[in-house]
Amino acid sequence: MYIYLPIAEQPINAFIVLGIGWLVGIIMGMVGIGGGFLLTPLMIFFGIPSPVAVASVANQLVAPSVSGVLSHWKSGNVDFKMGTILLVGGVIGSSIGVLIFNILNAIGQLDLVIKLSYVIFLAIIGSLMFIESFKLIVQTKRGKPTRGKLHQHNWLHGLPFKTRFRKSKLYISIVLPLIIGVIVGILAALMGIGGGFIIVPAMIYLLGMPTSLVIGTSLFQIIFVAANTTILQASQNQTVDIILALILLIGSVIGVQIGSRFSNLMKGEHLRLFLSLIILIVGFKLIFDLVTIPLDIFSISII
Amino acid sequence: MKTIIKNFVLMIVISLNFFTAFAKDNLVTDLSESTVEISSTFLGADILLFGAYDGQKNDDIIVVVSGQKGEVKVDKKEKKFGIWMITESIKFSNIPKYYYIASNRKIEEITNAYEIKKRKLDFNNFKLINNKINYKNLDKEWYEALKRNMKKKQFWKIEENSIKLNKNTLFRKTLSLPSNVSTGIYNVKILHYRDGNLISQEESKIKIDKTGISANIYNFAQNFSAIYGIIAVIIALFCGWFTNFIFRRI
Repeated sequence: MYIYLPIAEQPINAFIVLGIGWLVGIIMGMVGIGGGFLLTPLMIFFGIPSPVAVASVANQLVAPSVSGVLSHWKSGNVDFKMGTILLVGGVIGSSIGVLIFNILNAIGQLDLVIKLSYVIFLAIIGSLMFIESFKLIVQTKRGKPTRGKLHQHNWLHGLPFKTRFRKSKLYISIVLPLIIGVIVGILAALMGIGGGFIIVPAMIYLLGMPTSLVIGTSLFQIIFVAANTTILQASQNQTVDIILALILLIGSVIGVQIGSRFSNLMKGEHLRLFLSLIILIVGFKLIFDLVTIPLDIFSISII
Repeated sequence: MKTIIKNFVLMIVISLNFFTAFAKDNLVTDLSESTVEISSTFLGADILLFGAYDGQKNDDIIVVVSGQKGEVKVDKKEKKFGIWMITESIKFSNIPKYYYIASNRKIEEITNAYEIKKRKLDFNNFKLINNKINYKNLDKEWYEALKRNMKKKQFWKIEENSIKLNKNTLFRKTLSLPSNVSTGIYNVKILHYRDGNLISQEESKIKIDKTGISANIYNFAQNFSAIYGIIAVIIALFCGWFTNFIFRRI
């Protein structure tokens, strides 16, 4: 069934997009990370203009984050104080991100920067995830237990404005979570991602937060970052395609629920290995498109 | 089957009408639809153009459909640091966003170069305005690129030998508009040639408009963009809450 997208101004096959959202949702639910970094490039491959893809995926991101936070909140796994500081940074960051987005759009390099950022991030995340899960699989086969240092004191703990985070059992400076929030916010606006794959390791390794609180808290801040991005993109660039976002989010929220129910069927490290391969393939396809000679070195856009 | 019957009925109607019409004009045409509505299920449209003319052997018919004029930006990519990136752009204004030419045989055979230029029976005679003053010194490459890409996107199209003439009195032509066609008033010109000279012509208009929910969404997003963004967020918030609510019960 074809549906005409009002903002992207083209018809798309609704079932295929629903299916993509659903599959990405299942992966999200099983692995426990956001799917923006897969959805946006997939939509670009599908022919959606990259500014519309980025803004609409940011919009859809609100939904799985909300349903995720609600279930984590029930089990008491959200540090709202930490989340609030992260989201203040995130809102600042996403506003900066939309500003950068506008500048790049004006000079005509937005498409390239979006694709390049994806290439870089997918390559880094894909290979890190691949190495990490591969190591883990090998180590479990050998039967060696792995344990890293849980909490380390370094220069980051010497920053001013220290506050006590009761829930996370931390006494740290608010500067660091604020900066992390800003960085994630910029990425969210530019790339249409929640930034879970950056913020989660940052919270564990830089802030030293307990792992159980990390996902719920990061989802909590993503809601606000994604919402802020959506409103700014809609009001400044009119790039949010509500129909596209709706089709994607229906697929993904159902997928997430199914995925999270089946997450214990497969071992975490096998799942992550599988996901890292998908990420690397998507990244490779993007690089391939950027370095091969285009069919026509001229392209047109009708204004 | 439905269209065949429809066409047949239209043919009969026009056949009955044109005897009277011939009294004042020797070319009568009509369109199966004069408005095209781009709704949420729009996949392009076929419009049947049909007409009757007081013809002789070897008469020719040319149909020209032109859409709204607007700006077209042409980007040129070059390889830099191993990556193909846009390095130069030229904006052309006053370019028809849709241009379609159809005829019963090769246009060069129908009429002379002067007529082709005057009536714009190819893509080389638009008045070009661009934002680079020194265009004249630039290669024709840029305009060729614009033409090639407009044709590739099916916005510009030429179909010679595609109009069927029937016993020198009737002709018909289906105009196929692509799904991403731009909105506006389209001008349909039907030209009747005899021995290379234009002997009569007719003009009609097609209105292409966005309607239904997708048009409302588009207009709302343009005119109330901040509220649109807030609504988009609220919908997503609600959907997130709702799925959680549903799945908690399963």
